[in-house]
Amino acid sequence: MTALEAVAAVGAGALAAGSVCVAWRPLLPLALPTQALGIVLIAVSGVAVLGGAEPLGRGFTDRATPAFGVDGLSGFFLAALALVAVPSLLYARGYLAGSARSRAIAGLTGAFLAALVGVLCARDVLSFLAFWELMTLVPAAAILVGRQSRSVRRAVYVYLSVTHLGGAGVWISLLVLAHHGALAHPGALAQAGAQTQTVVALTALVGFGTKAGLMPMHSWLPRAHPVAPSHVSALMSGMMIKVALYGLIRVLFTWLGAPPLWLGILVVAIGVLSSLGGVVYAIVQHELKRLLAFHSIENVGIVALGLGASLLFAHAHEPRWASVAFAAALLHTLNHAVFKALLFLGAGAFERATHTLELDRLGGLLRRMPWTGWSFLVGAAAIAGVPPLNGFASEWLTLQALVHLTAAKLPTALTGALAAAGLASTAALALFCFAKVTGLVLLGRPRRDETAAAVESPVSMRAGMAVLAVACVVLGAVPALIVPTLAGLHPGAEPVARGTSVRLPGTGALPSLPLLVALTLLVSVLLVARRAGASGRSVVWACGQRLVPALAWTSAGFTKPLRLVLEPALRPQRFAAVRVRDGVVQEVEYHAHVPHLFDTAIYRPAVRLSLRGAAVARRLQSGNLRAYVVYLLLLVLLSLLLARTGALG
Amino acid sequence: MSATTAVAACVQLVGGVALAPLLPGLVQHLKGRLQGRRGPSPLQPYRELRRLWRKSVVDPEGTTALFKAAPSVVAASAGLALLLLPVGGVGPDWSLGHDALVLVGLFALARFALAVSAWDTGSGFGLMAVSRELTLAVFAEGLLLLVIALAVLPVESTDLRALTAAASGSAIWSHPFHWCGAVAFALVVLVETGRQPVDNPDTHLELTMIHEGPLLEYAGRDLALLQWAAAARHWIVLVLAADLFLPHGGSFAVQLVELALEVVALCGALALVETWQAKLRILWVPRLLGAGGALALIGFVSFFIGGRL
Repeated sequence: MTALEAVAAVGAGALAAGSVCVAWRPLLPLALPTQALGIVLIAVSGVAVLGGAEPLGRGFTDRATPAFGVDGLSGFFLAALALVAVPSLLYARGYLAGSARSRAIAGLTGAFLAALVGVLCARDVLSFLAFWELMTLVPAAAILVGRQSRSVRRAVYVYLSVTHLGGAGVWISLLVLAHHGALAHPGALAQAGAQTQTVVALTALVGFGTKAGLMPMHSWLPRAHPVAPSHVSALMSGMMIKVALYGLIRVLFTWLGAPPLWLGILVVAIGVLSSLGGVVYAIVQHELKRLLAFHSIENVGIVALGLGASLLFAHAHEPRWASVAFAAALLHTLNHAVFKALLFLGAGAFERATHTLELDRLGGLLRRMPWTGWSFLVGAAAIAGVPPLNGFASEWLTLQALVHLTAAKLPTALTGALAAAGLASTAALALFCFAKVTGLVLLGRPRRDETAAAVESPVSMRAGMAVLAVACVVLGAVPALIVPTLAGLHPGAEPVARGTSVRLPGTGALPSLPLLVALTLLVSVLLVARRAGASGRSVVWACGQRLVPALAWTSAGFTKPLRLVLEPALRPQRFAAVRVRDGVVQEVEYHAHVPHLFDTAIYRPAVRLSLRGAAVARRLQSGNLRAYVVYLLLLVLLSLLLARTGALG
Repeated sequence: MSATTAVAACVQLVGGVALAPLLPGLVQHLKGRLQGRRGPSPLQPYRELRRLWRKSVVDPEGTTALFKAAPSVVAASAGLALLLLPVGGVGPDWSLGHDALVLVGLFALARFALAVSAWDTGSGFGLMAVSRELTLAVFAEGLLLLVIALAVLPVESTDLRALTAAASGSAIWSHPFHWCGAVAFALVVLVETGRQPVDNPDTHLELTMIHEGPLLEYAGRDLALLQWAAAARHWIVLVLAADLFLPHGGSFAVQLVELALEVVALCGALALVETWQAKLRILWVPRLLGAGGALALIGFVSFFIGGRL
């Protein structure tokens, strides 16, 4: 056992100890720090492997014996996991203090982290699948422990059923791969024929895509993520769906062999659907955590765009751009993990302080909760894709990959151009959405007394969020330091130059650090020039009247123009009733909401159909003994008949 | 630094910072003439900037640091965009690169800052205008990326210098994709400069305004910065149009003269469109941009059918 392997093993031990020690009450304060220590140690070994050390432990095996190890790709995801998990655990210390179920939730958080690490380090099919299922079940338990209500139980039921139905795809694809011995020998599937390759690719897309929240398999995500305790939401949105992407990357890039053209186009198409669909439905949400959950769908879609572009470049024999697109996808995975965790933690802090997450009831929190507010603002600007923060860096890289697809033949080129336009619109929509969120939550006047009385969160929660906000800025400033490493993880990698700017041939370069410096300098000079002049105060102009909370703009009002433009696609439902007595309007009642078309058009009919099918099948189960005897008789007769015709061999 | 790049750097800075206010002034002047009025002097924006710079800034009650910072962020992002944009095909190295997509990102930063400042005041006028601007931006950005993808086709690079070089000469005009890109980009120019039929820069009437809305709460130096940034936006978009989609070629000096003439001609074109077009219903603008997108796609396909350059 090498020293690094020992570090990883100690880390795993600490993680397990941190999860188990909640059982004994005096050890409770040690639980979260021990878990954090464990995850840091595991990440250290992961980063070492990523930085060029030999892979730890075993390699992938097709046998059914448990095997664990860490290679570069696992190392990257472990590092991302630690970057999200440590601030989340720090935050959980304050967040869980005083809550009734803090012991159970702290233990489940550790178990959840262990399951994520297990999936990333598993090197055989059975351990992978075992940890995969644990990763699904543990957060469900954490949700149920944290909140008890009918609607939450319903959300968990939908989460478990959808992810398990879709999860069958993971089992099929991995077992087929293991059957052909393709896990240990990545070329082996090519000999099994194109049909097997198609089956593996499609089942993996459905299986891992369901868990990653790719549209149209996303239905569970906006239900389950909002109801979890905030730090668990952060881990679910930040890392769990990324671990699903890790599985998808393994299958599509390592084990599948040379990708066919249709696969790349399909992945890009799913990416466009998820990113546009996710952000459009995010904009019309009125509840903060649900809105953030829809944004996770959007960002997973952006990652899928990078992955699809990489597959298309690999098909077109462009290894350099294939690895750049791959790096773009991984960088966005990391960036999204950081800012989405930050936003979920911020949402939890706001909920704790104001007891609501309804956007139209918040407001003015930047003054009342400055630490949380400013951290949240950084996260909002990052997810809006504004330079010089990290969201822009990875979206720029993804856009470059898509635009450069136009060098290939027409189908690929057209896919690239349309996807680039889709991604640009997605970015504009995300900016729209987070301008709205920033305004409604942080700015203006509080819309309720309870919001006005909000106080800042405890130190540990603030620290957790501040760390992530700093990470957003740093990752935005120096993407060029990690992009070459990430590009090196692509199976057919070509080296990319390292430096302070991302300089790729065929681009005008993304000098993120100089941009950050120049922008900061210019803004400060202009601010000084502004301050040098005279200044005064005044009230906001509202046609001569005072700007009272009743005049404040709502979430629905701000997005109205967009809803009107997108009406043919969104199909909003409106209900208006006017009660008139003696020619005078007494009361106006108005409701409007945007139904989730995937639910009404795909999921609900599917559920109805399967319930009807089940009702038909139930008739077979009459409970009548004579009917069962007839079934047996028919079965025997059928077998005899088949044996007679030779169909049974 | 050679003499050419030194001159280019001067044109970039002097042109962008000092000459930019001339462009909206020129459009207003020409529009007045076309409508049979005398029109304001082309120098009017300079007078307004001077007046505003002397006046005091006003912070509405209840606003935060975001309101104060927004004009500086908007002006700074316009300033950085000026440094990215090559003139006459030459771009001095400010170590900021010359990437077209970074330029798009800087525009997004300005939009975000202004939208947040409107929420900070909570004023209905600002928010109404911002929500419209952000709605249009969704479609304008998609179209802009399609146009960039078209411009990238012959060179396979998003470097603005390479794109300018690829669009020079007369050979490219025999390819229909270039024409389609030029027409589609004209629509982007209308949206980004906030001109009729998309926006009406002459009015503060809440029914029509987009760009003016969030500016209502600003005064003094803040307003001066925002108005300068709007003028710089005219400069950037028009120079980009001339670089990517108008005829140019020859030596650096010739290209500079061509650039100056083309920017003035584009100002004339904007004035003409404003005179002859009424403002479009806001909800119809996305359809207009969609038509531009369809045209860009036709151009895109024609490039592959007609054979590569």
